[in-house]
Amino acid sequence: MKVEVVIDGRAARLEFDPGRFRYQREDGGVIEGEHSVVQLNSGAYSVLIGGRNYAVVAGAPGEVIVNGRVFTAAVFDPRGMRGRQSKDAGEGRRNIVAMMPGKVVRILVADGAAVEAGQGLIVVEAMKMQNEMKSPKAGRVVEVKVSEDATVAAGDVLMVIE
Amino acid sequence: MLRKVLVANRGEIAVRIIRALREAGIASVAVYSDADRASLAVKMADEAAHLGPAPSSESYLRIDRILDAARQHGADAIHPGYGFLSENADFAEACADAGIVFIGPPAASIRAMGSKTSARKAAIAAGAPVVPGTEQALREISTAKRIARELGYPVLLKAAAGGGGKGMRQVDREEDLESALRDASSEALRAFRNDEVYVEKLVIEPRHIEIQVLGDHHGHMIHLGERECSIQRRHQKVIEECPSPVMRDHPELREKMGEAALKIARAAGYANAGTLEFLVDRDRNFYFLEMNTRLQVEHPVTELATGVDLVQWQLRIAAGEPLTLEQDAVHWSGSAIECRVYAEDPDHQFMPSPGKITHLEQPSGPGVRLDSGVYQGWNVPLEYDPMLAKVAAWAPTRELATERMRRALREFVVAGIRTNIAWFDEILSSPDFRSGALSTAFLDRFERAAREAPDLETEAAAALVAAMSSMKPAAPLKGAGTRARSMWLDAGRAEILR
Repeated sequence: MKVEVVIDGRAARLEFDPGRFRYQREDGGVIEGEHSVVQLNSGAYSVLIGGRNYAVVAGAPGEVIVNGRVFTAAVFDPRGMRGRQSKDAGEGRRNIVAMMPGKVVRILVADGAAVEAGQGLIVVEAMKMQNEMKSPKAGRVVEVKVSEDATVAAGDVLMVIE
Repeated sequence: MLRKVLVANRGEIAVRIIRALREAGIASVAVYSDADRASLAVKMADEAAHLGPAPSSESYLRIDRILDAARQHGADAIHPGYGFLSENADFAEACADAGIVFIGPPAASIRAMGSKTSARKAAIAAGAPVVPGTEQALREISTAKRIARELGYPVLLKAAAGGGGKGMRQVDREEDLESALRDASSEALRAFRNDEVYVEKLVIEPRHIEIQVLGDHHGHMIHLGERECSIQRRHQKVIEECPSPVMRDHPELREKMGEAALKIARAAGYANAGTLEFLVDRDRNFYFLEMNTRLQVEHPVTELATGVDLVQWQLRIAAGEPLTLEQDAVHWSGSAIECRVYAEDPDHQFMPSPGKITHLEQPSGPGVRLDSGVYQGWNVPLEYDPMLAKVAAWAPTRELATERMRRALREFVVAGIRTNIAWFDEILSSPDFRSGALSTAFLDRFERAAREAPDLETEAAAALVAAMSSMKPAAPLKGAGTRARSMWLDAGRAEILR
């Protein structure tokens, strides 16, 4: 399983299977090893990495709490998601989707611009917290669907990358 | 003996009182506004009555509706809790007129002590020290200027009917006085429907220490020692403790302050539970500030340190029973600390954070007491005070109580809304808190440590859970309005449906 994640505004790539993981931050930091994740109840997990325990709660949209500390979290392109293959298979169009309700404060790329994987595309502010959404792949901006100052709902498509 | 008591409040204090009623074998009636139908207090009470729409002016502040509810449910007494109508003499009087016991002091005592200016007069008459200042409301700016000049700047403007920091302004220079007076009166008018403001000399960096008293209707009154409440944010207490660290080295101060408190309360003809607030300066001079003629938010620390159940005594005293506890039978043991957990975001100027609690883990274990008014799935209304719960920790020493509190806070997880839980850990770890060098300026000077970037492993743990919970199958859709599903799934679905 490979996903792109943005944790507290830092983009990273996470690869994992039931026993091992590899986490690579965009800025170059890498960690890999064995993990064990069990779900305790609705939103609570125990994560063991190298024998160290992390009490993690995924209680609210776009938010993860690790040992009492709150992180914003966004996940892109979970390949295993049901119905995924029906559209957008392979390397085609990718939608940039708002992870929480908020306001568009800055659009960093213009329609038609070429973008790198991990490049910042758009900044959304929610509850005074700014969240920069990054490009999940190298490509071209084919559509910018919102303007600055627009209010967006969770799940709204903000931009399309091809 | 009371048979059935209506609890004219909401949130954690309504829960606290309902628990005491159940222990005493007294039936409980909760009240609720439209926003509180699904509240924990209603869930726990034997009976419940609807008061009206969510705004408190249409519900929890409506004397007529509360008395109607008490009559309809056959309640023989009303406990007002704190806030709302708890210090409203008209309410206490209306209860008496309706033949319903008001669980609190006589209306006349509320009147005498309810306004800060009349409380000052009573304290002066009783021979207790007060902060230098006026006893009369300021009407003219010229009078205000003259008095402030006599007292010497800085001075403090305060709402006569006030509490909780509303209508309060520090004034450092005469040129700021007029606008500060205007702001303070209009804020006081909005908050208390009373625009009277008075002025006091500002005591520099005092401790805020209050004395709990308990008296019956037969002339017997005792004090239960102090609570140190110096850690305040914008005049709102956030951490309280008993004993005060200053009493450790100066135990005689408790006796002196206790005596002064009893003198003032007796002069006001006080009965039931009450609290006298004092400022204590660096030389341990103390000055009476005001009296709260009700149960305090922070009463659990006194209960933990003395073993005395204040709410049970409130009920017995209101029923006319004598207070059988003698002063020399009150002992203080160990150290108790309380943290007030608010739905507000310390990372963003303490913005209120109402909304649904999507996940909740509450602390427990040795020496931990939780007074909570919330549950997982509860929607914290935006109409009321943002306090969710109080965590109190008791241990044989202050150091151990502090560590126990940090442990309890670590167990306390609230998701869906922001809270100040993590902020307490920073305060409790700070050298000034540890040394007990407290003053009401503590939080003004307290600087939060910069948020460090997490280590990779912590971040990976966050990412693993975020990724895994985004892949869980969706919960069955109940209705368009439900949000039980993961937001990541929503985002994914939006992508798929395109």
